[in-house]
Amino acid sequence: MKNFWYLFAAYSIIWTALCVYMIRLSQKNKELQVELRNLRAQLERILTK
Amino acid sequence: MQKWWTIMLFVMAFPCIYLCMNRVFHATVMCITMNVAIMLIFLYAPTEKMQGIVQKIFYFHVSSAITMFFAFFLVCVASIMYLWKNSDWWDTIALSAAEIGVVFCTLVLITGPLWARPIWGTWWSWDPTLTLTLVLWLIYVAYLMLRIETYDPKRARFAAILGIIGFVDVPLIRWSVEKWRTLHPKPVLIQEGGTTGLTSAMLLTFLVCLVAFLLLFFYLLRERMSVVQSRHALEVLRHDIDELCVG
Repeated sequence: MKNFWYLFAAYSIIWTALCVYMIRLSQKNKELQVELRNLRAQLERILTK
Repeated sequence: MQKWWTIMLFVMAFPCIYLCMNRVFHATVMCITMNVAIMLIFLYAPTEKMQGIVQKIFYFHVSSAITMFFAFFLVCVASIMYLWKNSDWWDTIALSAAEIGVVFCTLVLITGPLWARPIWGTWWSWDPTLTLTLVLWLIYVAYLMLRIETYDPKRARFAAILGIIGFVDVPLIRWSVEKWRTLHPKPVLIQEGGTTGLTSAMLLTFLVCLVAFLLLFFYLLRERMSVVQSRHALEVLRHDIDELCVG
């Protein structure tokens, strides 16, 4: 088990980085979808006035 | 040579699979493949005699590197298409692939030194392969800095040119691994004469890892493209509302 910590560090960094990036992308996507829905509703309200 | 073509076909088949899959199915297949890959790495693949357990970094390090090369290849192709067709869709692909390529390049640059320290006795060496990989990372970070937030056609065209020129570094890295005498080991996956330096168990494990990483790449590409497209739609909508309010 010599050098186990190097292996552990490499896999931990890969998984942490990929998870953070995936969560960030998914959150950004959700925020943008909400903002888009709100703006579309606002545009509809303006058009019906 | 035949093995090269098999691998190229294998990689090129993914865009087709990507088009056929829906998001949930894609994510499920990706998670299953990734879990199988991890199980194969730790339970099935043999431990290399000279390097010991630390050699298992190879599976994710090389898979990340191949995914990174594929991402930058996509940036190059999409940038050429953008300059030719002037279509926003190609620009969206180039921008998304560049960001994901930088993520994988960062992983390569982190896992490389973690593997190098116990084997070479040093974290980093300014040898051609490592230096060229760092240059590649810097080129595409510059590309992303050119494209921060808002869509500007002039910036997009400059970035497309940088994306094409930057790709020249990729064959140089490959060439440096094969031809230069550096600390970085010569290719073990496909050696001269088309043979492989891996045992069959190691090769199978590596191929499953590569499939998992390519599936992850296309999943991230889909998500990142959706962000870019939503941002663009928001800009258009805001512009329409502003015009209506002023009118």
